[in-house]
Amino acid sequence: MRKLILIVSAVFVFVLNAAAQNRTVTGKVTDEKGAPLEGVSVTSANGKQGTQTDKDGMYSISVPTAVKNLTFSNVNFASQTKSIGNNTVINITLRSVDSKLEEIVVVGYATQKRKEVTGSVASVKGQAVAEKPVQSFEQALAGRAAGVQITIPSGVLNTPPVFRIRGVNSISLSSSPLIIVDGTPVTTGDLAGSNAAGNALASINPADIESMDIAKDAAATAVYGSRAANGVVFITTKRGRAGKTKVNYNASVGFTSVYGVPEVLNAQQYTDYKNYVASTTLGVNTTNPAGAGYVKYNLTAGPDGNPINTNWANVIYRQGFNQDHNLNVSGGSDNTSYYFSAGYTSQEGILKNNDFTRKNILMNVDTRVSKLISLGGKISYSNERNRVASATGSLGDAFATGGFGRLALANSPNISPYNNDGSYNLSTAGNFIGQQGNALSTGQVGFYNPAYLFDKNRSNSETNHIQGNVNIQIKPFNWLTFKSLYGIDYILVDNDIFRDAKHGDGVTNAGDAFATLSKFKRWTWSNTLQIDKTFKDKHSFRILGGLEQDRRTTAGFGLTRRVVTDPVYNVIQGGFTTDVNSGLALGENYLQSSFGTFNYNYNKKYYVSANLRQDQYSALPGQKETFYGFSAAWEVSQEKFWGNAIRKVFSSLKLRGSFGKVGNTAGIGDFATYSTFNSAGVYGGNPILSFNQAGNPNLKWETSKKFDLGANIGFFKDRMNLEITYYKNNISGLILNVPQSPSAGVPNNVPQNVGKMYNKGIELTLSGNIVNTKNFTWTTNFNYTNNQNEVTALAPGLTEILTGTGGLETVNRTAVGYPAGYLWVVRSGGADPATGRRILYNKVGNTILYRFGTLPAGEFNYQNTDGTRYNLASGAATTINAAADAVMYANPTPKASGGFSNTFRYKGFDLDVLFTYQAGFSLYYGTNAGLFDQRFWNNSVRVLEGWRKFGDITDIPKPVYGDNVSNGSGLPISFNVFKGDFIKLKNLTLGYNIPADLLKKVKITNARFYVSGQNLYIFTKYPGPDPEVSSNGNGAATGQGVDRNTLANGRTMTVGLNVGF
Amino acid sequence: MKKKIKYIIALSLVLISGVSCKKEYLTPVPQTVVSDATAFDTPERILGNVRSLYFNAKGGSFYAGRYIVYGDIRGEDFINETGNLVTGADVWSLNPTGTSTNSVINLWAQAYFTINLCNVTIEGVAAKGPTVVGATLTNNYLGEARFIRALCYYSLLQYYARPYADGAGSKPGLPLRLTGIKGPGFSDLARSTVAQVYAQIIDDLNFAETNLPLTNASAELNTTRAHRNTAIALKTRVYLSMQNYAAVITEANKIVSASAPFTATNPVTPGPAGVNHALQPVITTIFTTTYNTTESIFSFPMSAASGDNPGTQNQLGFYFLRNGSNPGSAEYSLNPAGIVSDSVFSATSADARKGLVFNNLTNGKRFVNKYQLPSPFLDYAPVIRYSEVLLNLAEALARTNAATADPRGLALLRAVRLRSNPAAATINAATQAQLIAMIMQERRIEFLGEGLRNNDLMRLLQTIPAKGSVPAKAPSDQGYIWPISANEMSLNKLMTDN
Repeated sequence: MRKLILIVSAVFVFVLNAAAQNRTVTGKVTDEKGAPLEGVSVTSANGKQGTQTDKDGMYSISVPTAVKNLTFSNVNFASQTKSIGNNTVINITLRSVDSKLEEIVVVGYATQKRKEVTGSVASVKGQAVAEKPVQSFEQALAGRAAGVQITIPSGVLNTPPVFRIRGVNSISLSSSPLIIVDGTPVTTGDLAGSNAAGNALASINPADIESMDIAKDAAATAVYGSRAANGVVFITTKRGRAGKTKVNYNASVGFTSVYGVPEVLNAQQYTDYKNYVASTTLGVNTTNPAGAGYVKYNLTAGPDGNPINTNWANVIYRQGFNQDHNLNVSGGSDNTSYYFSAGYTSQEGILKNNDFTRKNILMNVDTRVSKLISLGGKISYSNERNRVASATGSLGDAFATGGFGRLALANSPNISPYNNDGSYNLSTAGNFIGQQGNALSTGQVGFYNPAYLFDKNRSNSETNHIQGNVNIQIKPFNWLTFKSLYGIDYILVDNDIFRDAKHGDGVTNAGDAFATLSKFKRWTWSNTLQIDKTFKDKHSFRILGGLEQDRRTTAGFGLTRRVVTDPVYNVIQGGFTTDVNSGLALGENYLQSSFGTFNYNYNKKYYVSANLRQDQYSALPGQKETFYGFSAAWEVSQEKFWGNAIRKVFSSLKLRGSFGKVGNTAGIGDFATYSTFNSAGVYGGNPILSFNQAGNPNLKWETSKKFDLGANIGFFKDRMNLEITYYKNNISGLILNVPQSPSAGVPNNVPQNVGKMYNKGIELTLSGNIVNTKNFTWTTNFNYTNNQNEVTALAPGLTEILTGTGGLETVNRTAVGYPAGYLWVVRSGGADPATGRRILYNKVGNTILYRFGTLPAGEFNYQNTDGTRYNLASGAATTINAAADAVMYANPTPKASGGFSNTFRYKGFDLDVLFTYQAGFSLYYGTNAGLFDQRFWNNSVRVLEGWRKFGDITDIPKPVYGDNVSNGSGLPISFNVFKGDFIKLKNLTLGYNIPADLLKKVKITNARFYVSGQNLYIFTKYPGPDPEVSSNGNGAATGQGVDRNTLANGRTMTVGLNVGF
Repeated sequence: MKKKIKYIIALSLVLISGVSCKKEYLTPVPQTVVSDATAFDTPERILGNVRSLYFNAKGGSFYAGRYIVYGDIRGEDFINETGNLVTGADVWSLNPTGTSTNSVINLWAQAYFTINLCNVTIEGVAAKGPTVVGATLTNNYLGEARFIRALCYYSLLQYYARPYADGAGSKPGLPLRLTGIKGPGFSDLARSTVAQVYAQIIDDLNFAETNLPLTNASAELNTTRAHRNTAIALKTRVYLSMQNYAAVITEANKIVSASAPFTATNPVTPGPAGVNHALQPVITTIFTTTYNTTESIFSFPMSAASGDNPGTQNQLGFYFLRNGSNPGSAEYSLNPAGIVSDSVFSATSADARKGLVFNNLTNGKRFVNKYQLPSPFLDYAPVIRYSEVLLNLAEALARTNAATADPRGLALLRAVRLRSNPAAATINAATQAQLIAMIMQERRIEFLGEGLRNNDLMRLLQTIPAKGSVPAKAPSDQGYIWPISANEMSLNKLMTDN
């Protein structure tokens, strides 16, 4: 507050006035080809007078005689300033913008021209994410900007992508960037409380996005202070422009299909293989029908008389149909502009019953009430429905019994989802699919029957999302702008779950239904005062001061009803016997901030900036901290010594550097600092009150000290640009939930600011127009990021953080000296050629041979190469286990990532090709363990290459019936670790623009047909469906690089039509 | 003039935005929990805290189930049916490791969590109780908290420390936590000796005996909340484990009459009248119909309410009960070579306790049938019964009377057996050794499935007999007691392993 008053006092120092005697200047503005330009701003040099060109490019402006220059500007063209002199007519030709440098970039609470930006900001046009078969814009951001890593964690529709800017920047808190939409921070994350995914950002229709600016360093982000550590993404939605009303309609339809499902045994191979394994290692008679105890896996005749041979992938996956319609209307007069859009999208996922539909409306209005006051507002409403039948196997469900990703592989191929009479094939003995002719495996030859789950169960989530803002700008002087912006972001999520009583997860409760409502409400109010002033044409200042409040509340409640009384009921209102509460949640937080930015440049040559922000956050009561960012840039090419000879090749060179301190609070519990008692549970029916949380009243922000050094080089009149940046981010005060010794009896791991970590790397972007002729253009963008992450300190006494997958398997270990979430497994070799045993290595590297099962005397499950029992030094038998023998094995974080996009235009045709790549990382392919599980599970066809006899050289050990250890299920082994490096043909779009003169007759401005393919091809050695998946998703920064039963990704083909009127 | 107005506009805009901040939002008050500053400010909150001690002592990994299960399956009377490590296969085969989550780690954590709650509650009640609930209730509550703390420490000693008999308590015991911990920084604490921990247990129970109410408001509360006799009864068990037989006799005589029928009504050592404990005429009553008779000195109640039952794979019935259409997972059957080979359980036996064993005719296996309710398994978890006090006293008398088979000891043994088998009136013992052997056998019969077998083996420093595929374990063998939780080892720098 005090700071602001200071700024205002400073305002009084500037006193300016000009005598008033007017003259009128007229003229025409054209483009390079001589075509008239509409909507070009014509302003007097002092900014007091202004007008716009009409549709014929004509303008007329009355300016005081004291005004010497007129400035002509339009976003798509390079601005020009002309001296008026004695002229009354000034005609001018504007040159279209070749380079990115003229672009407008959104920075905190203001905009800047790209060439004036001293921080590290990457910009992506809205076009890059429009017309793509995605649910939310950030899914299409992969490969578009250096330093921005997007990973689509699974094929379940509307799963939030893993969104990282310059690596993982936190261990316990969020590593996802702050998202600002039209000036208002928005709620992010998966808000669905069902098995369906519900990304909050899906409510923003990608078709409505004008541009995305991604701020990466401290200079660009510091004005967001305690929320800036993971970077800030500014989304600007489309707004109307002065001129005739424009109508645009875009429609597309397409199909999505699954790719890369691992090949498993067919029914014949399966029965042969399992019977062989059972007879050779279980001692079961599977071969002699006349002999005692004859029992085996059998082929069963299906309704057509042929043996059943079910490809479960065909039961679970499908070809999904998508359609997408967007209509927008925009336009405006000199003083008022508007943009209205409506969208409908309906997408079917590769998984049956996995659907996403969105209906949304957006309305923007901006109006200049008077010279003094401008008003603007926006309202958007979106309804999203996310549907799925039950657990998918992705994101937290990795080990769900009915995870569809796993059922597609593990269920036996010689059973059918249906009995021959058409009824569902269900086991009568247990909650499994029926075993049909399989007599050997007792009671179980699969998990759930997916066909039944698709038919009976649902786990849906519906989101109603309202975003809106209203803003007022008051300009008492042309150099002083007051702006007030109030925005809301209200998300209401309805979860609707039903689980059938007879089969599947609902059996536990004899059928149950859940209905929960979660409300995420947020309002923000920011007030800023901005001074823009240039002295003597050379000293340009921009000073901004502001206050902001950001208030979030969450509330949730719901009902679970159990024991369904009649199979007819499948809604919460039906007949059930037991009611319990569900989905209770209540939270609130509040951020109160003051901030200021200072920008100065001398003659557009030397730039300095400072950003300050002081935050107070309700989850850290009593704490107050100032964050800052400083930067400087030098436009070297503006110097005199930058002669024309150099300029011919190097048209511009800017050096810039920044440092600063920003923070992270995303994920700190609303009441984490309090010590509390709660009443969870009863004793003998009576209420209790129990110490449930030890708080840390000294908890503070995580702080990131960021350092950034970069150069922007323009070649050939800025037709090509190279941007190269080195960055280092030192994170200290990482909040870790520090475990206390169990005997201390503290109920929780108390959050403390103790960890340290860094990310450092190099970013490189090369972009430009390679060819730019009348009929043919080729623009390209290649970006590359090398990031290195290392944890440098954990809590005293805390040597490691183990992060589990799906609550069962742990392969991620975070320890000092390694990147977060390093893959931590027991090293394994192939099969011992002599015995077929799995080769394992203990901690010190000794070879231990493992064989599953009950063994004859003299043989041991774990034995040394000489056949003796594997013992501890004490002589006691021991085993190979993760706690004792796992080693830090492989890096799950891509060292290099980026994209390569090219756009070609030839006459009416355009072709856009995007490749993305990630390299230098490994994945724990946990699914692979399941594919070699020697219980009833179906197996990869590769088991047929396994060890059979003395001397066989293979990486697959002798199959032992029931073995779930040598494959890595019982203990994670390096057998399942694979390099994840890939290059993906992420998107290919071919478009054709119908010539304008043809369209004129039917009063259509433009029409474009296009075909587009997404995820067309992956170049990789990774054996799983897609190396770009993550069982642990966006939430756990320390659980990356695990692919366990995750649903495969989809490949989508769409055709579309875009018409403008 | 116009300009001045503009300045005024600009300044007022800034001021408006400045004063709009909501200071109260910066210090929100949680609405779903109670602040630690006020957690003992009302009688209801204090009582709630006291109940939470019982609630947590009966956590699934502790007294609601697993503690009792482990007490039985470490012994020789059970056979593991499933080989499932989650349900104690390693405990049964006497080789759990420090990283055995479901046994070694979770039991340690739950017991110590409860101990800290006791300490927090003791401090909270001591500070605020006198003004909020008055002196009497304050003392009652402190007595309950110290009773639960004693029960926790005693229970931990049985698995994680060498028996008292090994060097008269000189071996490493447990970290003795006696102050409430409400924040980080208290991880390190070395182990006290076994004797020091026992001394604390006795001190807590003596305090409890003095300060607990003589009787609670109802039969249900007499079974599910501690009163004076509960503390005395537990002391007989604790002293027995310390082989302090004279003290066992002293304590038991406070609640056992001189001669049959043995009840708490006319104790040898008269005092103010407490709960009138007595054996129930039909033993099956206390396991099937009425959980709160005067025989059940202390049990943990269960109800269908959320959190008021043991939870998945913790339930006694889940472990011990039978196959087929009956509830339970039949994790542990009775070892045919174990106590069920006793004639009490034979087909021709007249002993009512035969009815507490179930014969599965399908597979020929036998199972403990004391916990018969189906999911969510709401049978009360027994902690101490009057028959145990009687047998504790009988044994102490027998062990301190070398001259002969102690007559009162024999009478007590008879009383326990007679209740279930009228034909037992004639049992007799000629010598001290004979009487002791009979009492030890009677304990295995009477308390089968109630978790006492491990305590009995440990306190006498006996070899754990072989069963099924598991070899015998001598007191000197690795694995005779559990290792310390690996979590404790890694986070408590002063901790030492077994």
